[in-house]
Amino acid sequence: MSESENSGAKWGIAHVHASFNNTLITITDQTGAETIAKSSGGAVVKQNRDEASPYAAMQMAEKVAEEVKAAGIEGLHVRVRGPGGNLNKSPGPGAQATIRALARAGLEIGRIEDVTPIPHDGTRAPKNSRL
Amino acid sequence: MTRRLVITGTPGTGKTTVSDLVAARTDLDVIHLNDAIREEELFTERDADRDSLVADVDAVAEWLGEWDGILDSHLAHLFDADEAVVLRCHPEELKERLRERDESEAKVAENAESEALDVILAETVERFGEESVYEIDTTDRPPESVADDVIAAIEGEMDPCVGTVDFIDYL
Ligand SMILES: Nc1ncnc2c1ncn2[C@@H]1O[C@H](COP(=O)(O)OP(=O)(O)O)[C@@H](O)[C@H]1O
Ligand SMILES: [Mg+2]
Repeated sequence: MSESENSGAKWGIAHVHASFNNTLITITDQTGAETIAKSSGGAVVKQNRDEASPYAAMQMAEKVAEEVKAAGIEGLHVRVRGPGGNLNKSPGPGAQATIRALARAGLEIGRIEDVTPIPHDGTRAPKNSRL
Repeated sequence: MTRRLVITGTPGTGKTTVSDLVAARTDLDVIHLNDAIREEELFTERDADRDSLVADVDAVAEWLGEWDGILDSHLAHLFDADEAVVLRCHPEELKERLRERDESEAKVAENAESEALDVILAETVERFGEESVYEIDTTDRPPESVADDVIAAIEGEMDPCVGTVDFIDYL
């Protein structure tokens, strides 16, 4: 736990959804109940296939960082979901660009968790099969 | 003509239904991999939270050997083949299909989220490359029409395609 988290600073959660085609960033309060800011790749780039790009993710992160800071939030825990077009690295490039941009905007980054769902129907893949 | 085709996709997208239709209309045999994993005990452990057997990928590959035809499973893209079909379905319709199959709400929710995030599409493209993948949207379409598309892919009458749907708004 970081220093500012102990000293009563306001923390939120950045939910980063990184699909094959797009990236969606939602910032909520600590409980996940209240949405403070939201942006998807489609809002910052025009061409469809660029919506999942690190560039789009970075632009979105800069925009939401301003809204989050205006709401008095100083630090964010990050929950990444999705393949983000790159399965060898977790989190994928869209998610990595998002986290870097949030940090650069002056927000403190706390825990980073990968909570990508696992498709299943009585069978499922082993976790290391994504290679 | 494709001799080894995997049909993959999130559970509920219609793989088993469509692969049986395609097998009936071509000379290709279909291997329903989920049945084999259960019956031939091709798993390493049980995931109790998900009530699912964790596939033993090496054991499945060995059991498959020099297979040909159609491989039906949401794990099918983990194995070598000539081409891959990825069936897609809007997460809201997917939930309806899975509920009709009496799946638990936790299972329905995790599969719908997987579909919204393109988890299986991304894995399949990573392994096969965009030039060998046919992404087919089954939302609001009868299985027979989806089977028409799969046969067109097998017979080289359709070009490979990915990135045709974006379900992120579901999240
Ligand atoms: N194109 C379709 N439109 C509507 N329902 C479908 C379609 N394809 C399959 N279904 C239904 O959805 C359910 C799941 O189909 P199934 O073939 O078992 O999927 P999978 O093998 O991908 O898990 C079944 O109840 C099936 O009848
Ligand atoms: Mg099936």
